[in-house]
Amino acid sequence: MNSPSFPVRVLYQMVRADFLERTRRYSFLLTLGLSLWLGYTVYAGQVNLLLGQYKGQPNSAWTGCVIGLVATVWLSLIGFYIVKNSIQRDRETGVGQILATTPMSRLFYTLAKALSNLAVLALMIFILAAAAILIQFLLQLHGGYPVRILPLIAPVLVFGLCALSVTAALAILFETLPILRTGVGNILYFFLWIALLATSVTHIEHSSSSAAMHLTDFTGLTTIMSQMQSQVRALDPVGYQGGSSFSVGGLTRANKTFVWNGIQWSPAIFLSRAFWIALALSLTSLAALFFDRFDPARSSITAQIRARRKNIQPQISHAETASIPFHQSHTRLTPLRHTASRSRFLALIQAEFRLMARGHSWWWYLVAAGLIAGTLFAPLQDSRGGLILVAWLWPALLWSQMGTREARFSTGPLIFSAPRAFPRQLLAVWAAGVAVTALTGSGLGLRLLILQDWPALTAWASAALFIPALALTLGVLTQSRKPFEALYIAWWYVGPLHHLPRLDFMATTSQSATPGIYATATLALILTACLWHLTRRRLA
Amino acid sequence: MNLSIQQVGKTYRGNHRALQDFTLDLQPGILGLLGPNGAGKSTLMTILATITRPTTGRVLWNGADIAKTPDTLRSVLGYLPQNFGVYPHLNAIEFLEYLAAVKGLDGPTARRRIAELLDLVNLTESAKRPLGGYSGGMKQRVGIAQALLNDPQLLIVDEPTAGLDPEERVRFRNLLSDLSGERIVLLSTHIVSDIEATATDIAIISAGHLVAHATPEALLQQVEGKVREWVVPSTELNSAKQQYLISSTTRRSDGVHIRVLGDRAPAGAELVSPNLEDAYLYALSQHRQSAGATA
Repeated sequence: MNSPSFPVRVLYQMVRADFLERTRRYSFLLTLGLSLWLGYTVYAGQVNLLLGQYKGQPNSAWTGCVIGLVATVWLSLIGFYIVKNSIQRDRETGVGQILATTPMSRLFYTLAKALSNLAVLALMIFILAAAAILIQFLLQLHGGYPVRILPLIAPVLVFGLCALSVTAALAILFETLPILRTGVGNILYFFLWIALLATSVTHIEHSSSSAAMHLTDFTGLTTIMSQMQSQVRALDPVGYQGGSSFSVGGLTRANKTFVWNGIQWSPAIFLSRAFWIALALSLTSLAALFFDRFDPARSSITAQIRARRKNIQPQISHAETASIPFHQSHTRLTPLRHTASRSRFLALIQAEFRLMARGHSWWWYLVAAGLIAGTLFAPLQDSRGGLILVAWLWPALLWSQMGTREARFSTGPLIFSAPRAFPRQLLAVWAAGVAVTALTGSGLGLRLLILQDWPALTAWASAALFIPALALTLGVLTQSRKPFEALYIAWWYVGPLHHLPRLDFMATTSQSATPGIYATATLALILTACLWHLTRRRLA
Repeated sequence: MNLSIQQVGKTYRGNHRALQDFTLDLQPGILGLLGPNGAGKSTLMTILATITRPTTGRVLWNGADIAKTPDTLRSVLGYLPQNFGVYPHLNAIEFLEYLAAVKGLDGPTARRRIAELLDLVNLTESAKRPLGGYSGGMKQRVGIAQALLNDPQLLIVDEPTAGLDPEERVRFRNLLSDLSGERIVLLSTHIVSDIEATATDIAIISAGHLVAHATPEALLQQVEGKVREWVVPSTELNSAKQQYLISSTTRRSDGVHIRVLGDRAPAGAELVSPNLEDAYLYALSQHRQSAGATA
């Protein structure tokens, strides 16, 4: 036990067990599929890395950089949601309480969990590195540039592993903080990710040797882009005015090409990567400070405070319950007539609405009320183009419960053994979600109704139907809140916030509103949810 | 009122056969379903509760196949699963109101019924506390109340006394006896004393097969004259275990008192009255022997 190799062996076993537990789940196939799909998007030319009107010729250095950027930029976002359940799993399975009884330190535990997160993400990186080689091999077969292993995989591995070590550590830190453990953390991470990228890209146009650039370059995007810009600028000092973009499925096309010579690896680049790894280790250590070691008394301080305020005993002792007579009153149950039970759909919607709206602090309702008032009284343009964005972001954690609650609280057997529970209960959940959406957006809805702006009101209504349909379907399909929280916030950012036509499901401007598409999508989503629910129940 | 289980089998992924060729007819009264862990009790319960479908065979409720028309049974079904959850932010009344709406009870009936049930399970005083603050035993009582919401004709309770302290367990048995009357109650457990106190019929299940179905008296008759008490020194206990089927051991000052089951009588052993645990273990061992011989 006192052997120096003991902690290493324990660490290895912990990471291994956690890694195997995750990778042997069916859902992990989806994760692998995502890696393969990202590789395919590069091969199919759907990923655009542009420098003004230039793009690189598809040699190994170019392919390696494009795949490397896909790996770091997208996986640093999506990967967070994939791995942010490591401590939660130990909590839910009870394994955590067993681990808590061992001499293991909190730092050791968070380090093991961060490494396990990194192992899962690294597997995705390795798949992308293999995809880079395969893509170049296929290009070579068709007379393209030859395969050169190092330029192909070095950007993927160096930038990818360093960036994802930070993602892995952040996922652990978020799991140890009660408030960030929830959907709030899922939404905040998106903004943190945006902020990190935004800070980094401001340095692209500056000198590639700038220390600030290296220290803010979380993903390696800035390092790669600035070196590429330098090469294009040297090639075409008059024609190239600067600027670069990295997008999936963008409409802009390049009409000039250049031969990218590959990254000039410098000590500064490796130092900056070491900085990000050190940051990941610091975040893991910080997580150890907040980690509650599965102590229920420390698990949720806010819950305890709330319980104290309401004078609720968190746990009633057996001694107390034992002293209460169980069947003392000799109550006779009134027999019920067993006629065919009526469909009480409205009562069910009301019950689902109550369930959805419960469990939030008073200030949550206060902000929601303020947003309703704001959308009602602010100038129409601000209300429709700005405030409604916040009003329909605020209830994101209410919608994300939809379709997942029965699995989360193990109430499925109680509900689905009731007559005609399907599809009534599912539709009632959706209807309650529509009520929440309509209520939180009611300020704008009322304005549009008063103004008799029927096209805008139709677009508003299509959004009120679509958002809960999306939440319900994702909830039913995945039985998890995270996919909706991650997708909704990303979609909200790309579509409504930038008023992007077709993607603006909130119809924040008349130009970007496409209510027909979202009404159709609502129908398709509800049908999908019903079919999936039915199929799963039949397969049970 | 009749529930007929006809040659039901259930195979899970990985070709794990949880139930095989299971046939049983149930009439009003309390049927205790006994079996060791992993015998297939919960699988049978979930099939009868229309949560899952059998892979083979069928279950008929008053002649109607519940896989084809599950709602005919669901409207008169009360189900307390082995593992179930509650919504922690709702109180007991709100949670029961929610499930009453799901079960299709109208408002006034639901309110009256919930008040009666909360009184019955003695949760009236705690009814307005959030369920998240309830103890395990209190949550179990909420589970019992929800199972009775629609005055079920078929009441299925799976390991209902798990998590209850001894006193609560006794009270629950009494409640179950009071409720039986003109309904079918299916009580699944591996705790023999729960069955002994309440069941009018007993079914024993092992490795997915029905081993025995009889009244408690008939089961006891099968082991009449086959149970003996034998006192051995503690040093000989292991040797005795290898030679005989033993249902219990008790250490006392004169040695270890062991209950030996079977036709072979050790020297010095005295015949005693059998109890249901003896009958259960004897039926299981007989089944395992015959299954071993067949294999």
